Amino acid sequence: MKKNITLNVNGKLRALVVDAKDLLLDVIREKVGLTGTKEGCGTGECGACTVLLDGEAVNSCLCLAIAMEGKGIVTVEGLGDPSNLHPLQQAFIDNGAVQCGFCIPGLLISAGALLRKNPDPTEQEIREGIAGNICRCTGYLKIVQSIEKAAAVLQRATSR
Amino acid sequence: MLPSTFEYLKPPDLAGTLDVLNQLKDKKVEVLAGGTDLIPMLRSGIRKPDYVVDLADKGLDDLIFESDHVRIGALVTFTTLCEHPGIRRKLPAIAEAAIEVGAVQCRNLATIGGNVCNAVPSLDSGPPLLALGASFRLQSKGRERIVRSEDFFVGPRRTVLQPGEILTELIVPMEEQFRVNFLRFGRRKALTLPIVNGAVGLAIKGNREIVNARIALGAVAPTPIRAYKTEQLLQGRKVSLELLAQAASMAATDISPISDLRASAEYRRKLTTVLVGRALEHVLRRGADRS
Repeated sequence: MKKNITLNVNGKLRALVVDAKDLLLDVIREKVGLTGTKEGCGTGECGACTVLLDGEAVNSCLCLAIAMEGKGIVTVEGLGDPSNLHPLQQAFIDNGAVQCGFCIPGLLISAGALLRKNPDPTEQEIREGIAGNICRCTGYLKIVQSIEKAAAVLQRATSR
Repeated sequence: MLPSTFEYLKPPDLAGTLDVLNQLKDKKVEVLAGGTDLIPMLRSGIRKPDYVVDLADKGLDDLIFESDHVRIGALVTFTTLCEHPGIRRKLPAIAEAAIEVGAVQCRNLATIGGNVCNAVPSLDSGPPLLALGASFRLQSKGRERIVRSEDFFVGPRRTVLQPGEILTELIVPMEEQFRVNFLRFGRRKALTLPIVNGAVGLAIKGNREIVNARIALGAVAPTPIRAYKTEQLLQGRKVSLELLAQAASMAATDISPISDLRASAEYRRKLTTVLVGRALEHVLRRGADRS
C-alpha cells in the first residue's frame, strides 16, 4: 500500500510517496537522502536512529512512515552544519567524544532533547537522558563531559 | 523496512475505528498505539497482519482527574505518566513504574494501553494498576464493558480482548490514605526487563491497624497477579516488624515463577520476599512522612 505524505524535515517540507512497510528511518535515509541517522538494532534499544518527532526524541526505527503525515522531524543534519556547528557538536569534537561515530548522531539528538527540557542537568540526569543510546567505543565519559560543556556554553549564550 | 506490507487504516474518530475493526473482525488485524512492541514484531515476522489500524488522534490520550479516580486514555505515553505532576503526586507508583519502561526515546512513543494489551508477564505498568484496583474500559462496535485489571490478563501475551475490541481507557481509583509503592529489580539500571516487579499498597488507621492491603507482583507468574494470601495475612492486623517479615515470606508462596534467561525460579522467590519486605517498610515510611 502506497500513500502520499508531507513531512517537515529540518524545517523543509517534503512531499513523499511511502509504502506501509517503510519505517521513518528508511524514509529519512533513502527518500530524503539524509544518512546521518543510523540503523543499529532496529528494535528500539540502541538509539542510533534517534530523531526529534515534534520536538521529542524517538527511535525512528519504531515509527511507520505512513503514520507520520504532517509531523516535524529533526535529524542530526538539522542540528548544525559544518560551517555552523551546534555547541553540542563542537563540544564532542573538542573533547574527543567521538571514536567510530556510528552512535553519535543519535547521541547528539538525545543530548539536544535533554538540554531543551533541562538546560542545566546534573551528571546523573545526563546519564539518564542518554540511557537509550548505546556507544560501544568510548565508555561514555567524554560524551557526558561534552554534554556538560555544551550545556554551559548554551547557558552563557542565553544569559547574554 | 518491514518484510511485508499491509493496508494502513486511520479512521478519523473512535466510532469509525470501532466500525472498521468490526468489519475486519475475521481478518488479520493489528491495532497501532505507540508501536514500540508492534513494529519489532512486524519486523521479525512474528505478526503478519493484512491490516494495521492506527489509534492515534482520536482523543485516546487524555488524562482526566475526577474526584475519586483518574481516567487515563489508552494512548497516554509513559513520558506523560512519569512527568505529569498530578500522577506524581496522587499516583506515584504509576510514575515510578513509567520511568522504568525503556529509555527516553521509547517512553516518548510507548503507551500504557499498548503495554497492558501486549500483556507480557513482566509489564511494569501491571502491578501498580492491580494494586491500585484499576479497571479497564473495553470498547467494540455498539458494546462497552469494564473489566477489573486482575481479570484482564489471561496468560503471557493473552488478554480478554475479543476480535474487534480495543482498550480505550484505564480507570484508576484514588483512595485517601492508601499508599502504594512500586518495586522492581533488574540486572541494570536502565533498558532491562525486571526479574521481579510489583506494587505494595496499604491503608493504615491511626491505631496502626491495616485496613486495606493490595499487593501485586509481576514476572513471577504467567500474568501480573495479586498476592491474595499475603493480603489476607495483613488485612485487619496491627503493623509490627514481625508481621511485615511474615508477609514478605508469604509473598514467595503466592507466586508461580519459572526459570528463564533472566533468573531461576528459586532466585525469583527469594527476590520476591526481599522486595516485598522492602516495599512494605517503604510504604509505612511514606505514610509516616505524610501524617
